Amino acid sequence: MSMTGTDAGSELASFLAHSLELEAEARERYGELAESMAGHRNQPVADFFRRMATEAEHHLQEVAELAVGMALPELKAWEFDWPEAEAPETSSYEALHYRMSLRQAMQLALENECAAERYYRSFASASDDPDTVRVATGFADEELQHAAELERMMADLPEQAALLREEDDEPHMPE
Amino acid sequence: MMQAIKLKAKEYKSGVKPIWCPGCGHFSVLNAITKAMAGLGIDKDNTVLVSGIGCSSRLPAYVDSYGFHGVHGRGLAIAQGLKVARPDLTVMALGGDGDGFSIGGNHFIHACRRNVNMTYIAMDNEVYGMTKGQASPTTPMDWDHSKLTPHGPGVRPFKPAALALAAGAPWIARAYSGNPNQMAKLIAEAVAHPGFSFLHVMSQCITFCPEQTDWKAIVDERAEPALSDADEAARLFLHESGFQTGLLYCEQRPTWPPAGAAIVDQDALAGLAASFRV
Amino acid sequence: MIQQHLSIAITGAGGAGVISCGELLLQAWAREGGRGLLRKAYGPQIRGGESAALLKLTDDECYTAASRYDLVVALDWDNFSRFEDEIQLGPNSWVICDETDVLPESVQAAQSRVVCLPFAELASSCHPEGRINMLALGALGRVLGLPTASMVELAASKLSGKPQAYRDAAAACIEHGAAQALACDVQVPPTGANGACYMSGNQAAGLGALEAGVRFVAAYPITPASDVLEWMAGGLEQVGGQLLQAEDELAAINMTIGAAFGGVPAFTATSGPGLALMTESIGLAVASETPVTILNVMRGGPSTGIPTKSEQSDLNIALNGLHGDAPHLVLAPLDIADCVFTTGWAVQLAQQLQTAAIVLSDQFIGQSTAIVSEPRRCAGTASALAVPAEGDYLRYKLTSSGVSTLASPGDADHRFTADGLEHNEKGTPSARHSDHQQQLAKRQGKLDVFDFGDDWAEVSGDGPLGLVCFGSSSAAVKEAAGILAQRGVDTRVISLRLLAPLQTQALGAALETCSELVVVEQNHGAQLFHYLKGHVNFSQSVHSYAMAGPVPLGPEAIAMAVTEVTSP
Repeated sequence: MSMTGTDAGSELASFLAHSLELEAEARERYGELAESMAGHRNQPVADFFRRMATEAEHHLQEVAELAVGMALPELKAWEFDWPEAEAPETSSYEALHYRMSLRQAMQLALENECAAERYYRSFASASDDPDTVRVATGFADEELQHAAELERMMADLPEQAALLREEDDEPHMPE
Repeated sequence: MMQAIKLKAKEYKSGVKPIWCPGCGHFSVLNAITKAMAGLGIDKDNTVLVSGIGCSSRLPAYVDSYGFHGVHGRGLAIAQGLKVARPDLTVMALGGDGDGFSIGGNHFIHACRRNVNMTYIAMDNEVYGMTKGQASPTTPMDWDHSKLTPHGPGVRPFKPAALALAAGAPWIARAYSGNPNQMAKLIAEAVAHPGFSFLHVMSQCITFCPEQTDWKAIVDERAEPALSDADEAARLFLHESGFQTGLLYCEQRPTWPPAGAAIVDQDALAGLAASFRV
Repeated sequence: MIQQHLSIAITGAGGAGVISCGELLLQAWAREGGRGLLRKAYGPQIRGGESAALLKLTDDECYTAASRYDLVVALDWDNFSRFEDEIQLGPNSWVICDETDVLPESVQAAQSRVVCLPFAELASSCHPEGRINMLALGALGRVLGLPTASMVELAASKLSGKPQAYRDAAAACIEHGAAQALACDVQVPPTGANGACYMSGNQAAGLGALEAGVRFVAAYPITPASDVLEWMAGGLEQVGGQLLQAEDELAAINMTIGAAFGGVPAFTATSGPGLALMTESIGLAVASETPVTILNVMRGGPSTGIPTKSEQSDLNIALNGLHGDAPHLVLAPLDIADCVFTTGWAVQLAQQLQTAAIVLSDQFIGQSTAIVSEPRRCAGTASALAVPAEGDYLRYKLTSSGVSTLASPGDADHRFTADGLEHNEKGTPSARHSDHQQQLAKRQGKLDVFDFGDDWAEVSGDGPLGLVCFGSSSAAVKEAAGILAQRGVDTRVISLRLLAPLQTQALGAALETCSELVVVEQNHGAQLFHYLKGHVNFSQSVHSYAMAGPVPLGPEAIAMAVTEVTSP
């Protein structure tokens, strides 16, 4: 499945550049969220986000292997064309709460997988290039699988307390 | 002279873990700053991030560049002194709405007026977060969640963009923490623009203003190009929602100090001493 | 040796040009090798008010305010009473004025000898634009034996920006004045060596700072420090530095810190109210170990106080005005020439020890001009410790000297964030007990361990009675010592130049032979007295003579008080 000989301006090159960025952003974001949660002592969610970061790293490696030998366009962060403000698998920083439950964290990840699936699917349907369509479809299917796995995991979770976010103590003033 | 430096955004991070609450908008600003630095190929050793006091002022420690974490409200003064003494450096000042528009208000208006070539990123969450949630100069009049002002501040908030325009800032933009990529682009443009570039970032505070998660519904990316006429800009800033994002105003103004061929006279010092001799 | 001096006061109002007259007279005297001091006194008006040029021509460089005037030239008597505190007259004084029948009460009471010189008439008779101050200049010049051509040349230089007729009138009046033989008989002091300098303390401080390497100044105007900043604005431009006019003192000190962080020796100047505003950020300089120098030209306090008069009442805030334990340097130049040395030394020390230096001069030495021999300079420049080549950079590394290496933006791979927050060796904010104790000890220790050498004070005399003072009161105390010596009381004078860190060992050694001490200072609260008592275990009895402004410290008054307080 080598793609050598494809130039940086081609549709496939652009697609792969976007895919790399998508996975890299996902890995970075999940990593940051994991650290932030660990720092605020929400270990179950931190561990989950760390696993998601590792997953993203795997996917990144897969995409990178596909792109071996290809000249990809070098884009600045704001030059990528995403359907929303950020890359599809990037949870908004603001969707977090330090006392969020594992279920809520998984819900975020699930939304990411669905967004990624939609993104790849739309790329596949909009493209004329057979290689691009093939790869994009493959990625979209993978995302669907991830989503299904997450749903299974979520089904196994116990019921969450209604007022989980509440805390007795007042916020603290560090400075 | 910019060398071609190719680092990824994450390589501009220092690795120090931010203390911000999960959900804080400032994570986005850190993300955007590092992306802007990567996009510009900035040299870490020649970049300085200067801040005051507050949650947002913790940012310099999280970036792998030189930094100065100063006292409350005075970051802009430190930044200008630094830039004037070392014009070769890229200088960014950062802080919050309390730091920049309350105690730092005087320095803010004079920095806009003085037009030293630097960038100022004000992270506005309409509250004093670090000191446990008091109203700030940009807090809505009726926000009654602070024990200091239990009936709401009862005082109209500032419009920072309008202030900046009136004080003379030549480059005024707004960003939203929900869109770090747009913010990164704006930061890169801010750094590149000669003069005092003011980026007003609406950056939510999850702990004291959880209602700010509603901001995403009212944020509106401005489609029109930046205004260059101050009259039109004044009308815009006085009447817009405060949540229009993008580059809103851009003009060319001479920066301070004026670039002159500084002819350093080797004997000047001796001459100065000699001028006192009878 | 008792100083020979001739004290001349020139007073007038309504734009008579009294100050210019005094300046030109002193400058002409300087050209002949004379020595002397010029002080200025004003009414509250910005222009046209009453003003006085107070000169003391001397045969040495110990400059104190005159206690009694030998010669008063009153161009008019408008509101002369404003200067009564300062211009004391006696039966041996000469008063030169236009009309003799409208003398103020104080002048009549003094029973001075009065000589009439019709200024206005003489001035207008020699030139239609004739001004009386130039006429007076000529007349006084003759009394001092100054060459008329010299005065004419100096006046031309001073008035070079004015219309030709103005300048011609000045020359004509000087010459006409010099032709008048005043029937007054005064003793003119002998002149000394040529090649002297004519400068104010404010200018001298600015020169010292530039010579020590200052290339960034943040400026916010305040009386009586604005002159420093204005002089430095011109100087900086010539040496390739920058002056940034700030919006307030809070900005000024922070801009100074910013520039210093950038590796450029930085400086600002202010007075009491401005220093009070700056204290938070001076503490930031101390905590972040950023070198800065702040010149505080002291004036009458507290609060707005007496802006145009001198006092030594900012010692407390300079020593203790920073919150927390924030050890730093406090120095005080002893006289106008010493402003060059002490300011330069302060800048060097601040750089070397990476801390804040506050230099306490005052309105008296700051805004008086004097003829001084070539001022002593601070030798050598501080050599910064070499920044280590590799490894994780520890900006606040604990060392035996307490001083760490200091990287600046641009230095490769030594990135750090300076912080006012307490921090560990790396500079990361820390609330740990060990980090706080270590950094506190470091910031104190680097001052304690440093060898400041012999310049911490000037010590003169060998007597058993010790007179201790700081800064500009040095001259008055030395003169008082002379008066006491004449009365058979021998003293040892210790004029402190370095106030913090207090050199207790050296001070103890200097006072070893003294059985009794008097601490002399120009403030109301005996600030130096209490400071010394708090830090030194004196074996001798220690007395205080503390006299606030606005009148300069009087050597006679000091001598009398010392006698009273030490008599059994």
